[in-house]
Amino acid sequence: MTAIELKNTSRWYGNVVAVNDVSTTLGPGITGVLGPNGAGKTTLLHMMAGLLSPSAGRVLVNGMPAAGNPEVYRTLALVPERESVHAFLTGREFVRMSAKLQGLADPNAATARAIELVEMTAAQDRRISTYSKGMRQRIKVAGALVHDPAVILLDEPFNGMDPRQRLHMMDVLRGVAAQGRVIIISSHILEELNDLATNVLVMVSGRLAASGHFREIRKLMTDRPHTFTIKSTDNRMLASALLRDASVFGVELNDGLLTVRTSDRGALTRYLPRTARDANIRLHEIRPTDESLESVFEYLVNR
Amino acid sequence: MHRTIVWLTWRQIFANRRLYLAMLFSLAPVVIALLFRSFSADPEKESRGFYLLLAPDIVLGVLLPLSALVFGTTAFGGEIDDGTLLYLLVKPVKRWRIVISKYVVAVLSTFLLMLPAIFLPWLAVSAPDLPISIPVAYVWGAALGAILYGAFFTMLGAAVKHPLVIGLMYIVIIEEALARSIAGVKALSIREFATAFSLRMADSSLNLGTPLVSASNMKVMGTLFLVGSLALALYRLARYEMAEKP
Repeated sequence: MTAIELKNTSRWYGNVVAVNDVSTTLGPGITGVLGPNGAGKTTLLHMMAGLLSPSAGRVLVNGMPAAGNPEVYRTLALVPERESVHAFLTGREFVRMSAKLQGLADPNAATARAIELVEMTAAQDRRISTYSKGMRQRIKVAGALVHDPAVILLDEPFNGMDPRQRLHMMDVLRGVAAQGRVIIISSHILEELNDLATNVLVMVSGRLAASGHFREIRKLMTDRPHTFTIKSTDNRMLASALLRDASVFGVELNDGLLTVRTSDRGALTRYLPRTARDANIRLHEIRPTDESLESVFEYLVNR
Repeated sequence: MHRTIVWLTWRQIFANRRLYLAMLFSLAPVVIALLFRSFSADPEKESRGFYLLLAPDIVLGVLLPLSALVFGTTAFGGEIDDGTLLYLLVKPVKRWRIVISKYVVAVLSTFLLMLPAIFLPWLAVSAPDLPISIPVAYVWGAALGAILYGAFFTMLGAAVKHPLVIGLMYIVIIEEALARSIAGVKALSIREFATAFSLRMADSSLNLGTPLVSASNMKVMGTLFLVGSLALALYRLARYEMAEKP
């Protein structure tokens, strides 16, 4: 079953392209949309939620165009990234408002069920203004789940949550996904999607840079070439010794700094100390140079 | 209209401190009236003249536009800036129902605030030549004013970035400065409509004065204000797009 279908979808603001020619189909289970900030994840999610119409291409939810079609929201829910909720309402009032706007037959029962699901029953009668970031996220999720939507879009749902809250939210989402629903989660942290998302779409600068099973994406990201800079007592000697290792495919010497490029980070970290010791070289500093998320994504794009 | 959105908008207005400021303002006329009573040399004789100045100039002329501004701009107000409007937009509710619900709350709260502002000073200065039909005539004016101002300021709240500033500019420049001196501009002033409507609704035996805006002018311009403002608010909401700014 295909719940969401993107066909050559693009979206631009003036001459800035936020989403560039993305085509994919999403079905039941949890799909992660991964990418650095500003990659177009929110724009993509908002197009799926019908809040934005694509500048080119199509976005179909259950076969219908999402934009300008409020009936879509009977089966679709969005948990927005922005923290702001109607802070003057209590948690229960906020969720019940969602239930009533959905036109549910028994809004009170649905409200109680949704609040129970995110474990907010104890705090439900406090004003949202007194909630922590994590509690606000949970009440937002309760408001979105109140009408049992088949498609749930969550924009950076783990922001501001402590590890325990994060684990709990993962449990909630896994439980909801097990009911055969379509869940799409955006995140800029790969590890957040660990053990959660089966499929991952990687967005970089508005383009779909990679997509596949979580484990494949993870392998792509960790098995890429790594670059280290090393300071030691004898850089030249160390360089020649390191070149004997099959995983090292480049060394460079300048200004008392040795730059090593390896295709296998693990192998180098085992090989380097042994080599240095055997050659009687003292290591002063080892520094990975490209561990920033942006460079990881950069690699995926240029691959 | 949608009951839940009406409820939410009420809660929004009550959560806003401006409401209490507006309530305080609505008590200003009765305070002025009490001061008048205690300082006037001959309240019996001067009451009518005083009230016929207070009701159109202070209540309809100042309080009505200011309260409509407060309620009209809070109806959408913060929701667009802080993004909470999103929670209404991702529900199976047609957008015109959102606009109408917000608008109705703005009109009703403005109108309700006008009632004590019109009747309390009338009670305070009660005089035999001030029958109840006089404040009732001003209530009609306040009702029309609330309906038109409400639409205009609700639209500003949805459509412009600083609705309070633009709204104040309208009140001060168009209504206060220009409409008072230039006859043609009166057709652009909701305040003039409200006053003229009061005079039209009053029995001619009350001798409140002659309306300065013609009935046909009021019909055309009033409809234009109402329909134009609500259509613009709806257009703005229909085109409302939330996204990360690139």
